[in-house]
Amino acid sequence: MSATSAFQAPATLLLCHHGTLGAAAAEALAGEFAVPGVTTVVHCLVVPELWAGMQGDDWLNNASTRDAFGNYVENMLENDARRELAAVEARCRERGLGYRSVLRFGEPAATVLAVAAEVGADLVVIGPPRRKGEAGLRSRLELDPLVRGLRCPLLVAARP
Amino acid sequence: MIYTRKSPALLVIGVIMLLWGWLNASGSVDGMQSWLQKSAYSDHKKVKEKFESDLKVATEKAQAAGQPAPTMTMPKSKFDDAKAKQAQLSYIFGGVALALGLLIMVWTPKEGNADYFLSIFPGMAYILVIAFIVRWGLDPMFANWGKAAKDTLGFDFAHIFNLNYVVLGIVIGIVIVNVFRIPAWAANGVRTARFFLKSGVILLGTLYSATELAQLGGLSVVMIGIFVLGSVWIVLIMGKRMQAGNSMTAVLSAGMGVCGVSATVAASPVVNAKAAEIAYTIGTILIWGVGCMFLFPTVGHLLGMGPVQFGAWAGTGILNSAQVAGAALAFDPHGIETLKVAEIFNITRVLFLPIIVLWLAAWYVKHEVGAQKVNLGQVLVAKFPVFVLGFILMFLLSTMGAFTPAGHYQGKYFSADKVKEEQLLKEKDTKALEGELARLKETEGAAALQGHFTEKAINIGQRHATPEDAYKALADLIANRKETSREQDDLLKAVSKLKDLNADAKAALEKAHKPVWHTSKSISAFRDWIAWLFAFGLIGLGMQITGKALKQAGGKPLIIGGVVGTLKAVGSLIVVLLFVKEFV
Repeated sequence: MSATSAFQAPATLLLCHHGTLGAAAAEALAGEFAVPGVTTVVHCLVVPELWAGMQGDDWLNNASTRDAFGNYVENMLENDARRELAAVEARCRERGLGYRSVLRFGEPAATVLAVAAEVGADLVVIGPPRRKGEAGLRSRLELDPLVRGLRCPLLVAARP
Repeated sequence: MIYTRKSPALLVIGVIMLLWGWLNASGSVDGMQSWLQKSAYSDHKKVKEKFESDLKVATEKAQAAGQPAPTMTMPKSKFDDAKAKQAQLSYIFGGVALALGLLIMVWTPKEGNADYFLSIFPGMAYILVIAFIVRWGLDPMFANWGKAAKDTLGFDFAHIFNLNYVVLGIVIGIVIVNVFRIPAWAANGVRTARFFLKSGVILLGTLYSATELAQLGGLSVVMIGIFVLGSVWIVLIMGKRMQAGNSMTAVLSAGMGVCGVSATVAASPVVNAKAAEIAYTIGTILIWGVGCMFLFPTVGHLLGMGPVQFGAWAGTGILNSAQVAGAALAFDPHGIETLKVAEIFNITRVLFLPIIVLWLAAWYVKHEVGAQKVNLGQVLVAKFPVFVLGFILMFLLSTMGAFTPAGHYQGKYFSADKVKEEQLLKEKDTKALEGELARLKETEGAAALQGHFTEKAINIGQRHATPEDAYKALADLIANRKETSREQDDLLKAVSKLKDLNADAKAALEKAHKPVWHTSKSISAFRDWIAWLFAFGLIGLGMQITGKALKQAGGKPLIIGGVVGTLKAVGSLIVVLLFVKEFV
């Protein structure tokens, strides 16, 4: 039985996806609720603001070296993000789903809340929070402000 | 893009600074200042008592002679000078802030250099006002509390935990960025911290003699050479064993080996480090560096290290270069000797940086399939630390006598006519020294003196100093009531650090040292400005240390970093204690 049989199919489904295993689980869950021809998947990819402090307290380098580092990191993050967006878009198109992407820099929960409001999301789907000690960048999406702030249902995918 | 934010913040800061200047100039905060600056206030009371007594005598004399009471002006005390300095700095910077704050409020900027330069002032004033609060308020406050609690705790917690303006400033910077966030109007100005820190290093060039620079330079090249190359090598081996990946291993070895975050920033693009690898490495280095900045000075105090030993240890053992300066000033906040030593080590590290980046680039190309070769010349030119040229220039100017009287470093002030009568030792001083000389000539005293010289590796020219040298130096001092040579000064400086030395004799040795070690006014001013520049720079750099970056410490980099960081800190401590003499 399809998940949508018990619910109305969402017109705008906000999928938070940034290429991790948890995000892949969120994409699979979103696929169960999205209906071709009805649902547009809005893919929200947040580049966490921890990168703003990633030059730390470097003071010895020349401005040119710092600029080179900044450009290098920016290009790398952007390329990674574009690759991710293109892959999810291809899978959505393949299933006949509408697709839009939003690439933002900021604090994850606040950004998802803002994007959900902007696009008028009917449903938000996210991956499961990582367990403590699991590999990956320490940039968690804080569930509490997200749950309190959202004006639509939130689905959290099961751990893969 | 318009950078200048229309905010009254700079205007408000200007008004606050001017108000503080006026409160000091008018004497309205004398009550608070007398508590904050206890030592200067004690001097003030003595000067006042003497003046009142002199005035009374002069008035009585004048009355006896049938003349009108004389008009006398009270000489300025250290307390008056300190208040006047606070008022002067507050007026100057408050006035500039007020004027520029008004300009920001009334002017509509257009895109261009004028807009960009104006946008940096609110942030600069923001850091400066924090520096004022920390240096004039919190630093003496904690010092007073530390002394007050000494009897109860059994130790001076402010001294042992280094709760001085440097550490407090950095902590406040870290708290601001992580708890309150840097206000948008201050963001551009906060970034100037790097510029001011580099300016501090450039000005520091004026404080070295050629001998000092040669000795410290040689020591730093040996220490940094061994520990940098050693750490890079260990990380390369550990990275391979732990299968950390070539780019991760390369970027980690630069960070752990040379100068922390700065080396990571310089090496990452060259070795194609991945985003997560950069984050892990920088997080690990920052967390290690901040920890060391608090730990090193406390250990240094507990081990009774001198400026040269501590500067050499911090300069070698602390992974991140910003925390080297922080730890040196935290250890010795009101002198600059430790900073002088530590910064030579920092400069040596940064000179090693292009070489290490080249080595790692070559290593990466050799080990990574498909890696592109780098242009060696381009890397060397791009990574060369230009500010070091400024440091060298200031050193050369200083050596040629541009800032100091000619012969300043050759001991001109040892000549008799330069030491005034009131600076010569008094009878009380010479008696104290005679007593100690007799005690040190006895078997126990001679053994203690010999042990002290051996432990601290005190030399005279190319040979080790002996108790006989100290007896002669002390006897000459007693006879002449002043020091007469640089050699004698160096030797007696070592004697003054002897444990169990009589307090009066120690005071006499310090008194004899003062007039011969003349510091020119310009050099004194440079010292003061350097302390301000470093305080400003380190508060600003504290604002760049985000909890989000620190949290990224983890995984293989944390394990490798932990091992190499500990080896470097402990290994350099052992080497310094064994081989580095306290006085250069």
